Amino acid sequence: MSTAVFAPSRLERRTRALLPWLLLAVLALLPTAGLSANIIRLFFITFVWVTTSLGWNLLGGFAGQVSFGFAVFYGLGAYTAALMIDRGVNPYLSFLAAGLIPALASVLIGLPTFRLRGPYFAIATIGVSEATRVIMNNLAITGGASGFRIMEHRPFRQVEHYYTALAMAAVAVAVSVLIMQSKFGMGLKAIKQDEDAAADLGVNPYSYKLAIHAVAAAFTGVAGGVFARYAAFIYPQGVFAFQTSVYILLMPVIGGIGTVWGAVLGGVVFGIVEEQLVANFPQIHLLLYGLLLILIILLEPGGLAGLLGKLFRRLRRPKRKNGNTYSGSREADEVLRRAGRG
Amino acid sequence: MTFVDFLNLLIAALLLAGTYAVMSVGMTVIYGVMKIVNLAHAGFMMMGAYFAYELYERLHLDPILAALLAFPFFFLVGIAVHWLLVRWLPHSDRPTLQSLLLMFGIWLVLQNIGYLVWGNTDRSILSPRTLALVHLGPITISSLRLVVFVAAVGCMAVLEIALSRTWFGRSVRALIQNRYAGRIVGVDDEKTARLTFGMGIAFAGVAGALLATLFSFDPDFGRPFLLRAFVIIVLGGLESVSGVALGAVILALVETFSILFVPAQYQPAISFGMLVVVLVVLPGGIASLWAKRRRLA
Repeated sequence: MSTAVFAPSRLERRTRALLPWLLLAVLALLPTAGLSANIIRLFFITFVWVTTSLGWNLLGGFAGQVSFGFAVFYGLGAYTAALMIDRGVNPYLSFLAAGLIPALASVLIGLPTFRLRGPYFAIATIGVSEATRVIMNNLAITGGASGFRIMEHRPFRQVEHYYTALAMAAVAVAVSVLIMQSKFGMGLKAIKQDEDAAADLGVNPYSYKLAIHAVAAAFTGVAGGVFARYAAFIYPQGVFAFQTSVYILLMPVIGGIGTVWGAVLGGVVFGIVEEQLVANFPQIHLLLYGLLLILIILLEPGGLAGLLGKLFRRLRRPKRKNGNTYSGSREADEVLRRAGRG
Repeated sequence: MTFVDFLNLLIAALLLAGTYAVMSVGMTVIYGVMKIVNLAHAGFMMMGAYFAYELYERLHLDPILAALLAFPFFFLVGIAVHWLLVRWLPHSDRPTLQSLLLMFGIWLVLQNIGYLVWGNTDRSILSPRTLALVHLGPITISSLRLVVFVAAVGCMAVLEIALSRTWFGRSVRALIQNRYAGRIVGVDDEKTARLTFGMGIAFAGVAGALLATLFSFDPDFGRPFLLRAFVIIVLGGLESVSGVALGAVILALVETFSILFVPAQYQPAISFGMLVVVLVVLPGGIASLWAKRRRLA
């Protein structure tokens, strides 16, 4: 019984609420510390991945709809931004469009595919993603197989890219947290657990899924756009590749599906590991992630975040055993006392 | 298009359908008995292709013989994978996302082992038979495709006999129809699931090896065929072996004859798009069309 009741103290809750802001402040000050361009690049890529990971997690983690098709949104976002920036449109305006167009596409994709459930939806998204890749690879506007080079008539400033990506990732975290705590988020959680029961309770699964799909697609699209502006060269077999969908799916699943910080952790780990391994051993990278995925599915469904949480709790437990037996919050004490009376 | 052209295309489509059926039937039996959507099918097909390739290059075995040897080899591989990983999944009578993601992880591992061992260059099996043709009057048939077709139909026939005549086949069919009722009458579902998984993987290996004689391949070889297999098993109603044959014929016909209407570079999009259309419009498969009509009558 005593292990089941675990409530953080007030101080702990305050530090927890402060931590994200502290992290944001540190990251905002980081470029002034005179880091090398390579490190800044690593951070930039990590922010992009974190955003896509959070986007996927909105649909896959909160609403339980596993999609293998997020490369469609990533690619559409990348090409929207690329085509607009190349024509001289303000890049930030282009990023907005890079969110809007994938969101529209997500509705078009969702209208038929959300009639399907669970694994059937997942399989249909593979079909959508592959068909989109084939078509995009053959359209003249994408540059086809030879790719598209973005000519931006501005000097390249890496710090600007860094802050754009940081702001984007921060917004994605904030929106994810807000959605999770809202009534809308509760509805999504209900859909994840049991669609029919959710419908009985007055949640329309179809429109809820369409809505969260659009938000997720918008984030993924903006991330694609921000990446495209930095890379200055994109090609359909890259941004629309099945591999991109796989990356976007693996990050939140391995980090900890259904939690905001799990998705962030997944993106961070992926970004760093990718950067270290891909240059030298691209295959080992995905081999490692495949093995991790198998282990996580079979042993620790909470992902890396769940694993860390367990370790953390195990480290704390001995402290509570000796000395002051219980140092929970006042509310938890109250609950315990009432439970004892009843 | 002349009548001869039409006949040539029709024969090509039917020959292709044989291989497509072998490729899809493994997924169907695994889905039917265990309700697992086997994404790793693509990985095992790729392994089957390289299995035939290695046997042909190193031991100079006939590729068709190598494909038949793939059956026992991949049967054992399948049983090992089931024993090691798949049996720990929680049982469910509906497909779960957990099982989907596990099979996806296995696919990723297989694919990247493929990249590590064989690199990402295209390989192909070029035997003296590859370019040989058989002439029947005005009709021309690739003799290799004919041999592959015969091997594929042979595999399907063996499966059909195994399913209808043996105790194992009867338990497989019982579990496909109703898992609980099957257990009540004494079917060992754990053992049947293990053997079924082995058989499904064995068919993936054989199909991969057969396809490797027709097409060039790299470690990403299974992916387009995986999507085609999905189309076929959904058309066939997911759980029926004869439905698979029907679905394979339909897909092969659509793919072959669409060449007349769709530019070649958009060709792959047809089966991918068809997957979505079929899933949404005909989730119960072709058979549901007749079932509905019968209910109305």
